[in-house]
Amino acid sequence: MRDEALLPLTSHGEQEIIAWHGGRAVTTAEFLAQAAALAAALPGAGQAVNLCEDRYLFLLAFTALLMRGQANLLPPNRAPRVVEEVVAAYPGSYCLVDRPHGALAVQQFTVAVPAGQGEGAPIRAIPEDQLAAIIFTSGSTGAPRPHHKYWGELVRGMERGRERFVLHALQGGTLVATVPPQHMYGLEFTILFPLLNGLTLHGGRPFYPEDLRRALADVPGPRVLVTTPVHLRACVAAGLAWPPVALILCATAPLSAAAAAEAEAAFGCPVQEIYGCTETGAIATRRTVAGPRWQPYGGVRLHCNDGVCRAEADFLRGAVPLNDVIELHADGFVLLGRDSDMVNIAGKRASLGDLTHRLLDIPGVEDAALIVQDEGNERGGRLCAVVVAPQLTEQAILDALRPGLDAVFMPRPLYRVARLPRNESGKLPRAELLALLEQLRRGDGVQ
Amino acid sequence: MSELTPLELEVGHLIVDTLNLEDVSAADIEADAPLFREGLGLDSIDALELALAISRHYGFQLRSDDENNARIFSSLRALAAHIAGHRVK
Repeated sequence: MRDEALLPLTSHGEQEIIAWHGGRAVTTAEFLAQAAALAAALPGAGQAVNLCEDRYLFLLAFTALLMRGQANLLPPNRAPRVVEEVVAAYPGSYCLVDRPHGALAVQQFTVAVPAGQGEGAPIRAIPEDQLAAIIFTSGSTGAPRPHHKYWGELVRGMERGRERFVLHALQGGTLVATVPPQHMYGLEFTILFPLLNGLTLHGGRPFYPEDLRRALADVPGPRVLVTTPVHLRACVAAGLAWPPVALILCATAPLSAAAAAEAEAAFGCPVQEIYGCTETGAIATRRTVAGPRWQPYGGVRLHCNDGVCRAEADFLRGAVPLNDVIELHADGFVLLGRDSDMVNIAGKRASLGDLTHRLLDIPGVEDAALIVQDEGNERGGRLCAVVVAPQLTEQAILDALRPGLDAVFMPRPLYRVARLPRNESGKLPRAELLALLEQLRRGDGVQ
Repeated sequence: MSELTPLELEVGHLIVDTLNLEDVSAADIEADAPLFREGLGLDSIDALELALAISRHYGFQLRSDDENNARIFSSLRALAAHIAGHRVK
């Protein structure tokens, strides 16, 4: 039997401030004691869905689950049906929430900062082979697809990030984020990044530009902002006086060089874009204003064969296929395009096949198609639906769709038609669909 | 029949124009119906865009940390009332 290798839960010293929560500094010692107390109070299970929205409560729940040896289940979105599907796939699992959700028909455990301490010294290290998280992406067949993340791989990925961003220069700084922690980018850069790299976590989740300005102003520098193109654009457009920021990290959708330049001017710091996916985590970065080429993390090897590109690294188990087609150069790579079934709207990824399935699963819907419109804008477009459902109203179809869908994927508008322009082989040519949409938009009355 | 006040109608136009709601007309928005999920079905990105439009038109910034955000966006009537109480232009 080999020794189980343990890796530390955090790089912070006992008396260092690990987080700001509700205007109060939390030391690492306090945090570990709170996590241990929460761990002791959790129900027994193999896994639990971590739905906490408050970033500090998410961190507490994440750590308590690690201490208990339970995996964090992170669903692709918060839609009740989707969360229920994930819980159903892991019998005995439950949901960790920061306030009870009435619409969610699963066992819920409400996370609060524990008043007392757990018994004994808190666990400070986790076996590298322990399953830390299972992150889900929407699969093309309907069921969310699980991606297993082991503690050792997450920790090693963070080491590569630390090298890339020269983080020792930002030690003692604070990380503020606008993205939720329930996906790979959010988990890596808003939870693990501060936990393992000596940055203090801002425990809230600022949403509007003015929220973010106050959050940044309230914390000591150097400040690191983790965000998305949509939020960055909104902040720049708001024209506020921003406190000094040392580094902005941006991901989930492509950022234009013009938007990056405006953001660099408004915040007075570099904007670094992160490239990666749920399967790999972050594997490359670029300073957007410096050009389109991405620089892979140290130790990342990329190969392309017959249009399929794969990534290998010391923090990945085997060669992982990428969703994008890339072109390799001596000084980095460029993105050429992505798998056509995947759409990315407002930074969230979904399979068009899965979304169409959810429409077709509604009783009374006979045929349906989805198309992305206005893909060029920052939100990444908007889905538009054309549905054959003679007995249903548009509103009834939308009401049936809503519980299973993230709000950004709700079609707008949704049109009912007598039939879809399918060809002899049953395929739906995009040009035909676009022509039909144009006709519907002009109100020519196809139905 | 529409029973919107002039300000509610104006905010309704702002919503429809900002978010390109091509299948909705401002006068048809129900004053007490929710703007998010049910009702108009707006999402969080729409809220960001709307916040920007509101700051430009009415000269103040929306905030979510006062826990009022859900109430402010609960209906056109609530949003118009919030604007009436905070506008500086």
